[in-house]
Amino acid sequence: MKKTYSGIEKKLSRWGWFFVAPSLFFFSLFSFYPILNAGFTSLFRKKILSLKPPTFIGLKNYIYLLQSDDFWNSIRATFVFTIGTFIPLLVFSLLLAVLILNIKKGKKFLQLAYYAPAVLSSVVAAVIWMSIFDPRGLGNQILNFLFNTPGIDHKWLADSTMVQLSTILVYFWKYIGYFVVIFIAGLAAIPGSLYEAATIDGAGKWQSFWRITFPLLKPTIILVSVMSMLQCLKTFSTQYLFVQSGSPQAPINVITLNIYNTGIRDHLIGRSSAMSIILFLIMLFFTWLQFKTSKADDVSY
Amino acid sequence: MKKTLMIFLSLAVLALPLLAGGAQEEEGPITIKFWTHEDPNRTTIEERYIAEFEASHPGITIERVTNSSAKMPELLLTAFAANEGPHIFNTQIEDGYAYIANGRVAPIDPVIAGFKSNDELRDSYVKGVLDAVSEDGNIYGLPLELTNWAPYINKRIFRDAGLDPEKDYPRTWEDIVAVSEKIVKREGQIITRRGFDFRYPYYLVSVVPMVEQLGGKLISDDGKTAIVGDDAWLKLLQFMADWGPSGLNLGSPTYKNARKLFNADNNDMAMAMSGLYQEGRIRADNPEFYESGDWMVIPFPQFENAVKEVASAYYGHFYMVNSQKPEREQKAAWEFITYMLSHSEEYLTEVGLIQPTKKLMSSSTFASIPYADVFASDMEKGNIVYYAENSAKIQELIKEAIEGVMLSGISPEKALASLKVKAQEVLDQE
Repeated sequence: MKKTYSGIEKKLSRWGWFFVAPSLFFFSLFSFYPILNAGFTSLFRKKILSLKPPTFIGLKNYIYLLQSDDFWNSIRATFVFTIGTFIPLLVFSLLLAVLILNIKKGKKFLQLAYYAPAVLSSVVAAVIWMSIFDPRGLGNQILNFLFNTPGIDHKWLADSTMVQLSTILVYFWKYIGYFVVIFIAGLAAIPGSLYEAATIDGAGKWQSFWRITFPLLKPTIILVSVMSMLQCLKTFSTQYLFVQSGSPQAPINVITLNIYNTGIRDHLIGRSSAMSIILFLIMLFFTWLQFKTSKADDVSY
Repeated sequence: MKKTLMIFLSLAVLALPLLAGGAQEEEGPITIKFWTHEDPNRTTIEERYIAEFEASHPGITIERVTNSSAKMPELLLTAFAANEGPHIFNTQIEDGYAYIANGRVAPIDPVIAGFKSNDELRDSYVKGVLDAVSEDGNIYGLPLELTNWAPYINKRIFRDAGLDPEKDYPRTWEDIVAVSEKIVKREGQIITRRGFDFRYPYYLVSVVPMVEQLGGKLISDDGKTAIVGDDAWLKLLQFMADWGPSGLNLGSPTYKNARKLFNADNNDMAMAMSGLYQEGRIRADNPEFYESGDWMVIPFPQFENAVKEVASAYYGHFYMVNSQKPEREQKAAWEFITYMLSHSEEYLTEVGLIQPTKKLMSSSTFASIPYADVFASDMEKGNIVYYAENSAKIQELIKEAIEGVMLSGISPEKALASLKVKAQEVLDQE
């Protein structure tokens, strides 16, 4: 019997599935299954140490959360932190990337200097900054020097507003370099010939940036936007360590910290699972929204 | 028939390794995982006890793992949630009670501890010591320490501030404020030397007793009402508001740990709240300061208008055994715990931990410990810390209220109203 051959595309597709299967397997095992498990657990009342079977309660965990002042405070804290961090990260990382690429000397050093904090764990970063924010630390010293106001305590860790700003500063400092490097890669992908042509046509730096760089950088901007937003939404270590060190919790009680406390301190694993599902949905929605509003696919060189 | 017989014999042969393995497991070596919190002084003696125990019990290996006391509760919780808890652990009773309530720990056989019955075992301790770990007639833990807190004073700083530490030490909380105001130093608004500061995360131990002094309670006697005695709680919250950065700025939860500063004797902390064990840590951290005699311990302060004399609550770190381990391993674990706790005098002299057996408390060794009488006297005026499955949450709510008035400018009335509602909800869920 004569053997029938499939089309080349079909064969490539088959091999594609073969090669991607391990990744899909690991994703299913370590990401998808936990999501499903959390969703399932969220429908039950279960204490984390209990050896008894959990009690099915349907959507009561969600109903409780939606009526809980603490939960809505966590929503507020999360969005304040996310907006306060993600927007500056997006803007300043782009500006810094452009600046770095336009200097003639020290590019590598600056890239390294900006990127260095990104390799630190959030724990280490938070510990460093808590020393800076100590009343006798550099934070007060520098500000008081600049404003010639010796002895003023700006209460970086104590004041409700300042502690929110402090956590934003820590996160910004830690991740700015990471996104600078991504933008540098994106900028490097833009053909130099476009700038040359623009220069010949009389365009200045400012025009080149807004007419060439910014539009063509859209995919990278979206990437950084989504990544930084997700990173901010799932922040935990910074807030956790601040609270452990005595900072007031309510102003910085982000959803992840609330999830942790509900599950670990309060032993209410069903309720904490419900909160994690809500956070997942929030992240999913805003990711979708960013892709929906950006039209990244329009970019071409 | 012959074929059937052959199949049966083959299956029997295959089963032999399983049976042999099972038998071997029952008689094989045992490794006991022992999790405890960091304490360099205690590590020294317990490593020796491990070596001695292993030498006398061939086939038993003890793996001791230390973690910070702050991290222990969550490490234990996640381990037990995954059914991978250690054989032996200790934690404060306000965190540990949940393990008893949920059947996660095994009762001790009093015979292992050298007693004929649980009652006899209980009677070997000061009255009430084992109540917190007793359920259904069984005893589920033995105390590594029962600890209360009292203020430690740096006499040198007192003298520097023009105070006589022997005469001018604070007796009341109002005195604490007055003395602190004399001692505190600042560069503008920034404190460079504190008089006293609280141990902010542990409100159940040292702040709830302040409320009780004023006539309030955390939980009503019938166990149904949370946050009893509004006037008392309001006074406490106002006191803390006045103490904090928004008031007199004599201390704050965000400032450095007072105890560690105290040990260093760097002229930046005059008084710190701690237990008897702090003496051992001073000796280890700063032997010169320890030997100088420039420190002392004073009784827990009382409010001037206190309606009841109450000292700090005492909490227990109890050694417990994981009930999910095989019975022979549980037995070995309890044997090891018993062996460790047979050295209560050494725990006292080397580490500063009180394991309040009647024998120890009446011993000359206890009497010879500096300021042991202060702690013992205060312990008689204190209650065991509040413990329940919801202890950690209740403490967190008190923290929220106190830090709200100290740091966020929330009024005591508003903070109390919120605390009452939330604490009642937690209590009702119990």
